[in-house]
Amino acid sequence: MVSTPDLIDELCTGLKPVRRLRPPLLRTALWLLLAATIVALLAAFRGTRTDLLLLLQAPAFAAAFAGSLLTGALSAVAAFQLSLPDRPRLWLLLSAPPLVLWLSTIGYGCLTDWVSLGPDGVRLGSTLECFATLLLVSLPAAAALALMLRSTAWIDPTPVAISGGLAVGGIAASAMTLLHDLDATVMVLVWTLGATALIAALGGLLGRRIFRPL
Amino acid sequence: MAQGRQTDAAMSRPDDATAWSTLMARVQDGDAVAYRRLLEDVTPYLRSLVTRHRGLSGETEDVVQDILLTLHAVRHTYDPDRPFGPWLVAIARRRIVDRLRRRGRIAAAETSLEPEHETIAATAANIHMTIDRRRELQEAIRALPAGQRQALLLLKLRGLSLKEAALESGMSIAALKVASHRALKALREMLGKRT
Repeated sequence: MVSTPDLIDELCTGLKPVRRLRPPLLRTALWLLLAATIVALLAAFRGTRTDLLLLLQAPAFAAAFAGSLLTGALSAVAAFQLSLPDRPRLWLLLSAPPLVLWLSTIGYGCLTDWVSLGPDGVRLGSTLECFATLLLVSLPAAAALALMLRSTAWIDPTPVAISGGLAVGGIAASAMTLLHDLDATVMVLVWTLGATALIAALGGLLGRRIFRPL
Repeated sequence: MAQGRQTDAAMSRPDDATAWSTLMARVQDGDAVAYRRLLEDVTPYLRSLVTRHRGLSGETEDVVQDILLTLHAVRHTYDPDRPFGPWLVAIARRRIVDRLRRRGRIAAAETSLEPEHETIAATAANIHMTIDRRRELQEAIRALPAGQRQALLLLKLRGLSLKEAALESGMSIAALKVASHRALKALREMLGKRT
């Protein structure tokens, strides 16, 4: 084993200046901008859902959309904060309020019977398309996030990966809500929440593999 | 927040903390002299942090070096506007927790070598069975079906080869193999149940 003074010698030899990390909020903003660009590109190519403006006036839909969007954005803030060594794990709770709002809209939607099931009930027709949108948004967004967090997150990977997963999931869910004519809000919610939960769980499980020491 | 208060309290010499902040900012600009001073200054402090964890006795220097290496790898994450102490302590804590976890994993998978695991050349020294256990074993062997008992006696106790045992017993080699395997399994079950 190398002795500690020898290790210090080694570390000091050839020390190079390092570029300080930009403030976490700025880095969050950069990532959100990238995510917004991806969603905007998708919207430009395939158009938003036709009844979007009408739906946004409905409180349950608007609450669900705001919930997913805020969950995504605030989780991104938390992920960038948590990737720094001296930030407390309490940051994990930042996205809890919008997440609760988002979850509560499921119950609300069902209770008020706002969801119109139509003569055929809830259809699964657009499932595949939905899945494509989910992948098109979440894969590049997740890759960019992992790349941006890579140099620091390995110190304590699990909380970073969970918030990162929630961030990607929240953004992807918002994109699906904007772009897809799902037949019922319940479908949107089940799809988007399910996808978000899956991505966050994957992040939590694979965190230690994604963020390895450099 | 809560962690911050705790770590501030943990800093033994707060005046050093300000000096360390300045040194660390210079380190980020590539000042090797400042780096040496900082590392030499924080090492005893880190050592005292690590020695507080009894589970890490004997590994103190290893863990301290681990923390120094981590500090080196993430030195770009330090924000000179924030106190250095909590940053350092947070890194140290992570490394200590990682090490304790790894220790726990290793301890769960390994059995430490006790004196009674020592094997000594003399046959008698390796027999730990009490008279009681020996009688139990003899009874268990007696309780085996005849074919299994014979296979066990020939192959395991007299140490004959499969061919020799087959000649002596008139059983085929495959039958001997099966019988001795079953005999051992049955013995294991019989003796295991009684313990």
